[in-house]
Amino acid sequence: MNSLPVFVRRASRQQVIGGVIIVCLALFAVVVPLFAGDPLTQDLDHTLAWPSVSQPMGTDHLGRSVLARLSNAARLSLSVALISVATAALSGAATGILAAWRGGWSERVLVAIGDVVLAVPGLLLVILMTVLAPGESWPFYVGLSAAMWVEHFRIVRAASRSLLASPQVEASRLLGFGPFYIVRRHLAPELAPMLATLTIFGAATAVVSLATLGLVGLGVRPPTPELGRLIIESLPHYREAPWLVSAPVALLAITVVALALVADREESL
Amino acid sequence: MSLGVSDVSVVGDGIELVSHVSLAVEPSKPLTLLGETGSGKSLLAQAIMGTVPRGLTVSGHVSVHGDVQAADDQQARRKYWGRTLAVLPQEPWSALDPTMRALPQVGEVYQRVRQIAGGRPSANVRAAEDLAALHLSDAGRAFPFMLSGGMAQRVAFAAARAGGGDVLIADEPTKGLDADRRDGIVSMLRSHLEQRGTLLTITHDVSIARALGGAIAVMLEGRIVEQGPAVMVLASPTHTYTRRLLAAEPSAWPERSARASGELVLSARGVAKAFGERRLFSGIDLDVRAADLIAIIGSSGSGKTTLGGVLLGLVASDEGVITRPGQAPAWKYQKLYQDPVASFAPRATLRMLLEDVVERHGREWSVVEQLLQRVRLSHMLLDRRPDQVSGGELQRFALVRVLLIDPVVVFADEPTSRLDPITQQETLELLVETAADRGCALILVTHDHVIAEKLGARIVALGAIGSPS
Repeated sequence: MNSLPVFVRRASRQQVIGGVIIVCLALFAVVVPLFAGDPLTQDLDHTLAWPSVSQPMGTDHLGRSVLARLSNAARLSLSVALISVATAALSGAATGILAAWRGGWSERVLVAIGDVVLAVPGLLLVILMTVLAPGESWPFYVGLSAAMWVEHFRIVRAASRSLLASPQVEASRLLGFGPFYIVRRHLAPELAPMLATLTIFGAATAVVSLATLGLVGLGVRPPTPELGRLIIESLPHYREAPWLVSAPVALLAITVVALALVADREESL
Repeated sequence: MSLGVSDVSVVGDGIELVSHVSLAVEPSKPLTLLGETGSGKSLLAQAIMGTVPRGLTVSGHVSVHGDVQAADDQQARRKYWGRTLAVLPQEPWSALDPTMRALPQVGEVYQRVRQIAGGRPSANVRAAEDLAALHLSDAGRAFPFMLSGGMAQRVAFAAARAGGGDVLIADEPTKGLDADRRDGIVSMLRSHLEQRGTLLTITHDVSIARALGGAIAVMLEGRIVEQGPAVMVLASPTHTYTRRLLAAEPSAWPERSARASGELVLSARGVAKAFGERRLFSGIDLDVRAADLIAIIGSSGSGKTTLGGVLLGLVASDEGVITRPGQAPAWKYQKLYQDPVASFAPRATLRMLLEDVVERHGREWSVVEQLLQRVRLSHMLLDRRPDQVSGGELQRFALVRVLLIDPVVVFADEPTSRLDPITQQETLELLVETAADRGCALILVTHDHVIAEKLGARIVALGAIGSPS
């Protein structure tokens, strides 16, 4: 209900700093691509140019605008991370509560699926997905969501199971309240802080995973700008144009640090 | 004088939590400090030991065997810990090491604190002797979680005594224990006195003070309001609070007569339940009529709560049938919990939680207002969360929440066992009266025979082995 003001009031200084950085990054990813020009247009007369008024972050080895490429890469990374982590959290919470509530077969099946997913390293799962549709971006989203779903599912299930067996839930059931009330009044307030922390760390993992895949050449299809690809493309030119490689690395580092700052809550997890 | 306290005060945030307390305890003459939760009696014990939490200011003097020390020099008392000053802790389960078996826990104290010759083997021999003397020979190899509350308390006692401390401070030694276990604790404390030990017992249980004899000091809001020989204080108390405390003892309660009951609302025939190999109860026949008052008594572990779960349909029974004559919906069968805090959603205010019930069952808020008045609860408390009101108040809120929907049966699972005696009496009387007003049957679980008899309840006794007696 009025969770936002409470959240802000309870935030520590670290969280405020982290939050401000995230907002800046989001603005960079959403607003800058609108005016920074086309990230794909090549200008072979001006390759590896120093930052200037027309090209605030210079150009790469093919004369493309680094600002445009970097902001588009940030938009891709942040949106895939956001969507996949939101999917993982929602489906994890729903299946976790379902498993804890129903028990029996539905729980066993869900736990078995979770164990299978858990047995495959997260990154490998994403790579396997990309084999299904090379060059598309949805396999990243599906693979990352599936890999992160397990954590959410397992934590929500464990927490819900003890909550559902507690006297407070028993009392509400005896008083005639249905499942929606129990989820809203008993489960959600207890699960929300846990999920918040998990989701924030999940987002950081997703951003890094995506960049890792790009770095080893398994990411989105070139020439689409992506953080990992930006790093690997500019690596050969690190002597002539050090800003080229340092910009995506810095962006990656700032994103992860900002998310870690936001997640810093003593009470959660 | 082996333990002396003179003019000790504990101040926190400008409030005197313990105020100018002076006490003297002699060997073999026990002193019992009586008082309710929040009266500052445990803080006084911490001031004596030198374990007052940081942030609180201590003043006055404490003397141990004639060695007078400033009370705020908390480090000075360290050298007496274990060897001279011993504490019998409040919650034995949390005081014992959960990863160690009982015998080595006691042996360790002989070896490391008393440092007896012969090292660990002879330490364990001494520990085994102690455990045998407390009828715990079989429990030496058990881990704390395998022990009952009474057994854990005895192991903690053996460990506290093993250091050789002759000044024993027992902080609420009977908290959470059944009435029949209480006598065991008292005889344990007596044996300490017989060996010329010094004993300071802190409790809210008047019967402990009576059983131990010696002297009594009554504490209220940080002050000693009455002090004297037990016989005198108990026979002719001078302070109003002491009188109320004595009147709140179940044995002093007024007798209530059995109530006239109405039509059958719940009936159990041949109900049995076992958990694995352990049979809790079997062959239980019980008829509950409107406005009935039934007391289920039995020691801990006898299946009282489980029987309630079976009657309410929360737990499936192994054998037998439960029938609910009349067409009352399931939510007319309600429960009050032993720990009221655990029975409310913790992050909502009491107003929100009561509004939920009003909304769910289409009641008027005015009914809540009437009930709050009936159980003497202030409106001010409505906007607090469950953990922000006292146990007695919250249990009354639980009562309001249940009565709001006009139940036909309320199963009250030791609803007052965690409350102070005066609050316990008030709460139980309210519970019994309001249920009677509304023609609601009340099934009260208690481990105290006397309470059941005084309330005029029909008694169902569950034996320790599980069959009804």
